[in-house]
Order: sequence, then C-alpha cells, then structure tokens
Amino acid sequence: MAGLEADAVWTPAPPVSRRSRVPATLIWGALIVLVVLALAAAAPWIAPYPYDEMQIMARLKPPSFAHWFGTDDYGRDVLTRTLIGARLSLLMGLGATAFCLAIGVPIGLYTGYRRGRVEEIVMRAMDVLMSFPPILLGLLVLAVTTPSLWKTVLAVGVVYVPAIVRLTRSVTLELAQEEFVLAARARGDGSAYIVLREILPNAWPPIAVEGSLRITFAILLGAALSFLGMGAQPPSSDWGLMISEARAFVDRAPWIALAPGIAMCVTVIGVNLLGDGLREFLDPRMRSGKGS
Amino acid sequence: MSTDPPTPPAVLDVAALTVSYATRRGRVSALREVGFSIQTGETLALVGESGSGKSTVALAVMGLLGPEATTHGGTMLFNGQDLRRLTPGQKQALRGDRISIVFQDPFTSLNPGLPIGLQVAEPLIFHRAMSEAAALDKAVEALAEVGLPHPRELVRAYPHQLSGGMQQRALIATALICDPALVILDEPTTALDVTVEAQILDLLDELRRRRGLSMLFITHNLGLVNRICDTVCVLYAGSVIEYGPTAQVLSAPAHPYTMGLLTSMPRLDPVHRRTRLIPIAGKFPDLTQLPTGCIFHPRCAHAEAACRENAQTMAPVAADHAVRCWKSVAINAAQETMAPLQRAAVPPRVSVQQGELLLELKGLRKIYPLSTRLTRARLGIPGTRASIPWFRLERPEVRAIDGVSLSIGSGETLGLVGESGCGKSTLGRCVVRLLEPSSGSVLFRGRDISRADRKQLRTFRGLAQIVFQNPISSLNPRKTVGAAIDRSLANFSGLAREGALARRTEILEQVGLAGNYADRFPHQLSGGERQRVGIARAIATGPKFIVCDEPVSALDVSVQATVLNLLSDLRDQLGLSYLFISHDLSVVAHIADRIAVMYAGTICEEGPTDAVLAPPYHPYTATLLSAIPSPDPTVARNVRIRPRIDGVAGKVPMRGCVYHHRCPRTLGKMCEETPPPIVQAAPGHWIACHLPLAELEAMPAVLPIRVSDGLQSPAGGHASAAVVHSGTAPE
Repeated sequence: MAGLEADAVWTPAPPVSRRSRVPATLIWGALIVLVVLALAAAAPWIAPYPYDEMQIMARLKPPSFAHWFGTDDYGRDVLTRTLIGARLSLLMGLGATAFCLAIGVPIGLYTGYRRGRVEEIVMRAMDVLMSFPPILLGLLVLAVTTPSLWKTVLAVGVVYVPAIVRLTRSVTLELAQEEFVLAARARGDGSAYIVLREILPNAWPPIAVEGSLRITFAILLGAALSFLGMGAQPPSSDWGLMISEARAFVDRAPWIALAPGIAMCVTVIGVNLLGDGLREFLDPRMRSGKGS
Repeated sequence: MSTDPPTPPAVLDVAALTVSYATRRGRVSALREVGFSIQTGETLALVGESGSGKSTVALAVMGLLGPEATTHGGTMLFNGQDLRRLTPGQKQALRGDRISIVFQDPFTSLNPGLPIGLQVAEPLIFHRAMSEAAALDKAVEALAEVGLPHPRELVRAYPHQLSGGMQQRALIATALICDPALVILDEPTTALDVTVEAQILDLLDELRRRRGLSMLFITHNLGLVNRICDTVCVLYAGSVIEYGPTAQVLSAPAHPYTMGLLTSMPRLDPVHRRTRLIPIAGKFPDLTQLPTGCIFHPRCAHAEAACRENAQTMAPVAADHAVRCWKSVAINAAQETMAPLQRAAVPPRVSVQQGELLLELKGLRKIYPLSTRLTRARLGIPGTRASIPWFRLERPEVRAIDGVSLSIGSGETLGLVGESGCGKSTLGRCVVRLLEPSSGSVLFRGRDISRADRKQLRTFRGLAQIVFQNPISSLNPRKTVGAAIDRSLANFSGLAREGALARRTEILEQVGLAGNYADRFPHQLSGGERQRVGIARAIATGPKFIVCDEPVSALDVSVQATVLNLLSDLRDQLGLSYLFISHDLSVVAHIADRIAVMYAGTICEEGPTDAVLAPPYHPYTATLLSAIPSPDPTVARNVRIRPRIDGVAGKVPMRGCVYHHRCPRTLGKMCEETPPPIVQAAPGHWIACHLPLAELEAMPAVLPIRVSDGLQSPAGGHASAAVVHSGTAPE
C-alpha cells in the first residue's frame, strides 16, 4: 500500500522467542488424575479382596503384607474399600462440579453481561440459596424424593451453583466494560459471539481454579450426605464415608482413615495442578515471548 | 559537572548514580551514571518518556527503592551528606522533614479514612514531636498558604470531599509543612485537568519565589518545564543525554532526542499548528539488552558507524549546557536546513469546507438516573426554613450530555475538547450507538440511527467505527492481532478466506505494521503498536466515519506523533471523517478542521479551528487556552485566565450556565438563572455565553494572532501577552 511517507515509521516485526512449552504443572496434574481415574476404573479387577468380605478374625488389624492398609472394624480390607470407594467419590466430585459449572457459568455470563432486572432477580435467588447451610440444602433435595446416587450428585451440584454464578458474574461485569468488548459491539458482533468468544476465554482462569476447588468440597459434602445415610448405602463405600466411619477408631486403628485420606489428598492435588497447568497453558502471555 | 567547585554547596548533588532492577526477564538497567545538581532556590526538571528512569531517581533520593532494586554506584550528596551512606533510621528522619515528595496521583496519595488536617499535620507530629493540637494549628496555616479556601473547616474534611486540585494542594501543604530543603515533585499535575494544572503551577511558582524552594520537578511535558524550571536534565533509557538551562535546551536543543521530542509535540501557536509532526523513529530500547555505543543510535537519523561503536560521554556545548552526543554541532547545523524541508515535504492540510453532511446530532441527551432517595421537604412558610425530614421523594440524575447539537461533513474532522467528566467520551459512544441516548437524535446520512432496525444498524456499524484510548484494554489479550482484524473483515468485507488474508496484510501495512504482526498477541506489542492495531481493526470494516476517543492520550509524545500522523494520512487516503475526542487542545488543534469545546455536558463553543483559538471566545475556551504551557521559550504567555475556584468535587450547577460558578467573567444573577443564548460570532462560529459579543472579542488573545506575522518571526509572539484585540469597543 502506498502512503508511507518518509517519516512514517514502518515497523517490521522483531523476532519473538516462541518457547511454546507444556508447563510441568500440567504434565504432573494430568499424570496424577489419569492414575487416579485408571485405578478407580480397574478397581474390581485389581482389588485384592471383595469389598464387602468381612473377616471377623482380622478386625482392626494394622497394615501388614496381607492387608497393606490394614483392616477396618468389620475386618474388611481398607485398600480394597478405598479402590472401590474411588468410583463413588470421583463420580460425586467430578459429576457435581460439572453440574454446578454447567448451570452456574451460563447464568453468571448472562446476568453479568445483560444486567437489568433479570440480574437482580437471579442474584437475590442465589443469595437465598447461599443462606442455607450446604448440608441442609443437600438433605432437602434428597428428603423430598427417594435417595439415589444421581440425585446426590445433583444435590451437591445445586449447593455450589451460587458460588460459581457469583464468581462468573463478577468477572463478566468487569470484562464487559473493557474496550475490546465495546469494539466487538461496534463492529456488529452479536451478544452470543461476544459472551462466548470475547468474554468467556478471559473469564475462564478464575472459574477453572474455583471449579478445581469445588471438586474437593463436593467429595466432602457427598461424604457428609453418605454419613447421614443419604448418599452411598452400606456396604458400598466412598472415601468420605470411610473417613467418617473411621472416626470412632481413630485412637485404636488410625490406619482406617489413612488410605482414603491419602487418596483424597492426591486427587485434590492432581486436579489443582491440572487446573493451574491448563490456565498457564491457555494464557498466551505465559506461553511465549516477552511481556511489556 | 562537579569539576568546577560551586560557590554555595548544592542542595542535592547526584553523581554517577547507577541502579538496576531484577526482573523475570533479567536485569533491567534503570539508571546509568546519572548526575545532576540542584542549587538552593533552583528548580531542576527531570524530563523523559516512560521507562527513562525519572521516577527511579526520585525513589533513590528518597531512599524508597524496593528490594528488587540494586544501587551499583554513585553518590547522592544532600547538603554535603551522602544519602547512600545513611542508616534506614537516618533516612527516615530526613524523609518528609528535610526532603519531601509529592506524587502523581492525589486520589491515591491521601488516606481516604483520615481527615485532611491530620494528614497535613502528621510530619510535624512525627518529626518535631509536636502535640496534635499545635500541629493542627500549623496545618491550618499551611492549607491557607497553598490557597485553599476555608482552611479551618478543611482540616476536618475527608479526602473525598475535595476535588483533585484541592487534594493536590493539600499534598503540597503536607510536603512543605516541615520547611524542607528539597521538594521532589513526581509528575505532580499529570493526573489533573489542564486548567487545574495551571493553577497548581501558579501556586508552585509563587511558593518557589516566596520561600526560595529547591525543587526536583519530574515530568514528561516540556511545556511544564518551560513554565516552571530553571534547569533541565533530559533522561533517555536511564542516561542523562542533555543537561542545561531551560531556555537554552528548549530553544537550541543539542541532542537529536531532545530535538525529536520538540518536533513531535503538537503546538498551538498558529505557525506550528498545522505543520506535520516529525516523530522519533523506532522503538524505545529493551532495558535488559541495551544497544552498544550511543544508546540512542538505533533511532537516530544521524547515526553512523562511530555512534554504534563508541559509548558517549557528556560534553559541553555552551556554558552550563552539556550533551551526550559527539555529533551535536554538525547535527544542529544540518537540522536547521533539514527541518523546514522535512516539514515542507508534506504541505499543511487545507481545512475541508463542510461538504456533504455526513453526521448530525440534534439535541442529544444522555441522562443517568441515580438511586431514588428521601429528602427534606420545605414547608414553604415565609420567613422560616421549616421543613420535614425524609418526606420528599427525590430522583437525582446526572446529565452526562445535556442537549448537544453538532454536525460533521464528509472528509471533515471535528475535534471535541473538554476536561475529564465533561461527557465527551459518552458523546462519542452515543454517536456510534454503543450507548443509547436518552433523547435527541443521531442522523447518519440523514437517517436516524437511534431508531434504526437491525439491518440498518449493521450497515451503520460497518460505516462508523471507533478507536479507543487505552491500548491495553482495547485488544483482547487472548486473540492475535490477525484474529482481531479478521473478525471485522468477516463481518463486513464479504471476502472469501484468501481475499481476507490478503486484505488483512494490506490493512496492517496501511497502519505501518509488517504482515507478520498478524500472529502476535497484544502483550508482545508496544503501546504505539497496539494503538495502530486498534486503528487497523477500525478501518477493516471499511468505514467512512471514525470516532477517535482519546487515541493518543496514553502514549508518549514521540509515539503520539506517529499515531497522529497515521490518522491524518488515513483520513486523506481513505476520505474519512473523524470525531476526534481529546482533553488536549494542542492535539485537537493539530488535527481538527473544526473544534467544539465541551463543558459539563454542553457545547460552549464551536467553530473553525483558527476561529475558536482566537477572540472572540467563550470564557472557558480562553481559560483552557491560557492553561496550556508552551514549550517555546520565546513565546511568553503572560495572559493568565484562570477559573474562579478549583471546582468542588462533582458539583455542576443545575440551572443557568453550567460554567457560571467557575467563570472569571460571570455576570451574576443572569448567568446563574438563565441558560446562555447561542450567539453566532462569525459564519459557522457559535458561542454559548451571556456576555455581549463585543466583550468576548475584547478578551486578550492568548496565542499570537496572525499566522503571517508568526511565520516571519516566531519570536514576535512574546508581545502577545499584552495584545488586546481592539476594533470593537465594548458598549
């Protein structure tokens, strides 16, 4: 194109170091989560004992070669029950979190971008939801119908919707004021494009972090519901239930809580690393080149 | 500088100061061998663009450098005592007592939770162990000295009850209360409006004379330097590149960088108003990898092999005037012949006469309702002020735009100038319908776009675009430059993939960026480059009209010149019309064919650029004009027209003329009660003022009047101070 006057500064792009590399946190996180999922999936085949086999003679035995993590008060193998319990716990953690994100993020985006009366109504409704103690809300959902696993997942998911809505909305409110959003409106882009393509990718990092934390909370809340008899039904188990039941023996046989406790820790750490790594990987500012 | 022993010891003598910062990207060399000295009663300007290290100097002298900073060497002698050798306790004893500092942003420098009086008195309580009562008495005196009205009441006020100008005055009072030997002013007026800035400068000037203050004045604005400083020290990428008396440095700059700074500044004076700006080529260097030899050589038009090889040292060019450039004399000689040629290469633009009408605003209003509240209701019993509290329902509102009518012809640039909060950005956004006006209409090619249906609006979006102010927020950090432009093309060009790619490269080149910039993310660009991408995105839809909302305000002066030149070129090549919004009258006067001056949501004056900048003008326009400091030492602006008060935070009169409470020429009752008539001063030149036209014409001219006079002798302007436009005698 003509029109480059003598003084017009025409700038060729200087080289930018493109060290596009996968962050270590992402690799470790993915590895841990994969291993946990694989163990849960393969549990029936790799577990050394049937999960409900009671050995009266081997009650409250400390870890040994036969029982790596000991046995509980019915003489059941703790390792076996932890492996089998992973399935319910992971379902609870991941399922409930997926549910609360699927409901919470769209509501948050809509109210944050559109504002107005709908926003007021939705946010007040969320305030009401938040004012219930989580356990009570979960119980309420389960009490009106017959308990079943998928209802527990939904109940736990509903409890965490307000937190996700509030977070998404506040991030969206801020982003909607940015000039690049105005520029998108000025070039005739519709609300759907703006919300999904301009706002959501920038709103995603804090939501992802919050989501990975919610998995932990969901496992714990699921455990609490199980403990109250609303979630996993004995003799099937989940980690939360196992820890709750182990409470009575914590002075005599602390190993009963150890295996599910470690499992929960590892899962949470894995998910957090994965979330962190993903955020770093997706952010162009962290991926390559120099900042300014 | 320290070779000849100065007779009185300098208040501050900095020599060979070298500071670096540790960052993730490596060691940033912030200051290298910086040296200057300030004598008693002297004001030294430290000038430079962002990244030059000027604030690092202030922090180093104050002993406030963070833990990531390392001082590698040098001395800072304060009254003969090396500040670097002091213990933290000794430094603390000096800070706020013997050396004090005023920061840039008054809004964050004051603690919002403490009354003003306590904050002003604090240094006395701390350093002088005064009782609170005694210190507060002193604070009242100090507030009075810096020109604040009702100091006794102000002592109890909280920061949010004061306007920005009043807050900055309070901070100056705090800095002066212990009678320091040195005051550091770090961009003290940058966050303020230009009329308020002028008042603060008047105050500093007066204080300096009265108290014999020594000041270190840090700024990026050469106009301010000329207004208030005795000596100037120009910093570039952490090095002093020129040092000398203000008048000499500004009238005969010796370093190509200083010359570049001066030629890239848009000037108000009729001689320079329309001439093309000459920016400094290239980019500010990466401070982790400094160029070898002369640090300025990659951007210097006169660079040769020797400049790339040899590091430069400060060498005298005249008495007290030193420069870090071995070619200085030769360049100066060359410059005298070159600059006029360079300017002449692009003839000044001839103002476009308003041709075909493109855009018309009719009685545009934008009103924001505030939340309803219950207030006191007057009973209306004569002679009493009896009232019932909580009785009347009040619906307060903010009139961001209050009845604005303007028009823009095709190919024409209308400049909209006004101070912060006057509604100019709101107006810009209403014009391209990013905001819905409350009433009135926006006609684009005769069609009311505020009532346009979906399809019409879409067509309009392609034809009318907007360029934003903030180079950081205006680009999506997760999208490449190419993606931003592609979307505009996809929406409006109707080109297939191949064609769109070619067009994208073409557009990038039009804004002066190479095609491979398409793969960059915004964080990999400099401020100027981002702004050019913003412009590329706007022109990609194929517009006829662009709202430029403060497009250069966030940029350094040399980059600003590049972007202004680019906008002018695009206007001529593509036949664009602009609504050019800015708070900076010099920038607007440079680019606009016509100017509209906005105050508190209304237009107080509108007309061709040359007419608006000379009498007759609205008292507010006169205030704005006289507030702008000129970097030209030969043009003394003695005409000082200042608003009556600093302006109380957020208060705009609801009746009468919106300017009456600040207007230096108010007529009293009439201005307070009745909205002003709009008077035609000349064809196309309108002024909204109660004052008779003759009286407006008799106002002193702030700028030299006749272009032809100016062209012959630019220095002739200094007489303008006393010029009173005669011809029509006031009745």
